[in-house]
Amino acid sequence: MFLALREMHRAKVRFGLLIVAIALLVFLILFQQSLQNGLLTSFVGGIRNQSAPVLVYSTDGQRFIQGSIITPDLEAEVRASGAVDEVSRIGQGTFTVAAGAETFDTSIVGYESLGAPERLSAGRAPNAPGEAIGADADIDQGFAIGDVVTVIPGGATLTIVGVATDVQLNAGPTLFVDYATYLEVVASVNPDAQTALPSVLGVSPAPGFSAADTTAALNALSPDLDALIRAEAADLAPGVDQIRQSFQIIFALYAIVVPCVTGLFFLIITFQKAAALTLLRALGAPARRLVSSLLFQAVLIVGGGYALGTALYYPVSQQRLGGIALRFETASVLGWAIALMVLGVGSSLIAARRVLRIDPVDATTGVGQ
Amino acid sequence: MRFALRELRRRPGRFATATVILTLIAILLMFLGSLLDGLIRSSTGAIRAQDGDVLVYSDASRASLARSLIDPGVRAEIESVPGVVDTGGVGLVQLGARVPGAGERDLAAVALFGVEIPPAGVPEVPPPGQVYADEVLRSDGIAIGTELLLGPARSPVEVIGFVTDTSFIGQGALWSDAATWREVLEQNRPGARVGDEVFQALLVRGDTDADGLAASIDTATGSTESLSITDAANALPGVEEQQGTFNQIIGVTLVIAVVVIGLFFALITVERTALYGVLKALGAHTSTLFAGLVAQAAVVTLIAAVIAAGALIALDAAIPPGGLPLDVTPERIIVSTVLLLIAAIAGCAFSLRRILKIDPASAIGSGS
Repeated sequence: MFLALREMHRAKVRFGLLIVAIALLVFLILFQQSLQNGLLTSFVGGIRNQSAPVLVYSTDGQRFIQGSIITPDLEAEVRASGAVDEVSRIGQGTFTVAAGAETFDTSIVGYESLGAPERLSAGRAPNAPGEAIGADADIDQGFAIGDVVTVIPGGATLTIVGVATDVQLNAGPTLFVDYATYLEVVASVNPDAQTALPSVLGVSPAPGFSAADTTAALNALSPDLDALIRAEAADLAPGVDQIRQSFQIIFALYAIVVPCVTGLFFLIITFQKAAALTLLRALGAPARRLVSSLLFQAVLIVGGGYALGTALYYPVSQQRLGGIALRFETASVLGWAIALMVLGVGSSLIAARRVLRIDPVDATTGVGQ
Repeated sequence: MRFALRELRRRPGRFATATVILTLIAILLMFLGSLLDGLIRSSTGAIRAQDGDVLVYSDASRASLARSLIDPGVRAEIESVPGVVDTGGVGLVQLGARVPGAGERDLAAVALFGVEIPPAGVPEVPPPGQVYADEVLRSDGIAIGTELLLGPARSPVEVIGFVTDTSFIGQGALWSDAATWREVLEQNRPGARVGDEVFQALLVRGDTDADGLAASIDTATGSTESLSITDAANALPGVEEQQGTFNQIIGVTLVIAVVVIGLFFALITVERTALYGVLKALGAHTSTLFAGLVAQAAVVTLIAAVIAAGALIALDAAIPPGGLPLDVTPERIIVSTVLLLIAAIAGCAFSLRRILKIDPASAIGSGS
């Protein structure tokens, strides 16, 4: 270990460059992990964390709430089903909302009984027209409890009375209001509009039915109905799978680059030190000690790079990217730490193999030089 | 230089690992860039295709077609603005389309535009009930003559031709006349119905520069937000955020490339210190030695870029239609390669100081 540390101390630049390279890779991986999770949460958090166990879309909506419309005929079919207990209309639209001094593209969700955020992080649920639940990711933008926001044009006002965690939709500010308020908002922005139909129905299963039983029963009623369990509705929303696929490819590529860089570095270092290592072996240093010295360096390098990368990532993880709130992903930090340590140290085993193949006799013949 | 290139030819194994790493980084750069291009292209095509200078939205809409309304009064004000030559209403409704022969639940995602001025690629505004479709909809089984049933009301429209690069927020566009759009909107989205002669936006053709014309229109009406076509495309939700985020990631990836190349060639230089000492003693200039290093880095980078481009093209071919919105273009490959080459040269600069410090006299004294 003494030799390993001494060598690193004497070649600060080259070991430092490697640590910086790994740190940047770690930073990118962790940042993108936060970006992926933040993107998904801000797109579909409002679906995942609302109170209806089952959401019924029209097939035409293609699992996009705002694109779905439940016609009166379809609604009647759902209500008549023996598989459902409570049925709640849910409407959703995107509106321009003035909050503070700015305007935002804001998703407004109207619900009857089911469809509100399952848990509030502060405040209370609306109990009067014109009251709304906001997302706590939007508090700093003028959507805190007590704030009054205005839907424009039309001028309908909404007062925030509660906030909930991870309930955004469409990567922007999101408000939950009672269904009557939602209809008023729709009418206020477009006087030519007829009464808006519900976008989806929130459903709770009848006693004796699981959520899966209920979705199966509802989907059997009509090909125009697309009933989904809450978590499925979030996972199958348009774009979610594409986001996951894209990031998985990016993660895989970055994850491969880390062991490649580490492996290359130690391979070259070992190659350069071949003569010195041969001499050490000839002087009686056991191969195991040289290998453990190399692995010790690999652990320090990957660990140091990881620590530096995490330090770079931490302040960035506290920021917002447009409408997306990033957060420090502890589980990802730990998971990637283990994965990259295994990959990084594993890749240095190629160099270790070269060390083990050194023949001490070469010191007398000059082969190791 | 020749010396360096000969080394590359004779001992390719020495550079293999660096080439592999650079190939991975090149794939990352090209993949990220192509993904960005694909996302932007599939989001903005319909706006970029508008055959005019300025798109006018109502000022409260934040440049969203779905939330914008331009009534006939505002249109008349716009038409009286000096510099305005022609105007055409634009309307949009996003729906699922039932394609004959497809499964009951297997709908194509479409964005039906009602226009008075046809977009680039559409020869003329089609007659009522007929539409031009974006090429991407071919993958949903749509062909000329196909009758699509739009939305829950099953509003029928017939496809009479195709047009390229007019997707809107990832959906294939259908281009119809204004009456067809108005009818389909009312039948399928009663909550979004608009009055007669009301459009969501107005396309304006002018005889002056777009930005100046946009400013004049907004001043004249006091109730509109006018944007040049490029600005309107960039104003679509998520476009600027995507560009900013992806470009930052690409930038950091390039920095990693600089560090990796710098590390590799710094180590190579350390290994060759004695050799460089001898070459210097024989009269080689520092610039010659450094040029050799740069030449090696450039060749390794070019090889990596070629392999990466091939891999990306193969990946693009393997992705089924409707999968990842990857848009692999020669421009993106060339730009990524040039950026990597710059990174390679910058990385080599780490070794310049070390080469400068080599003393030719060491060739005599070192004995190596």
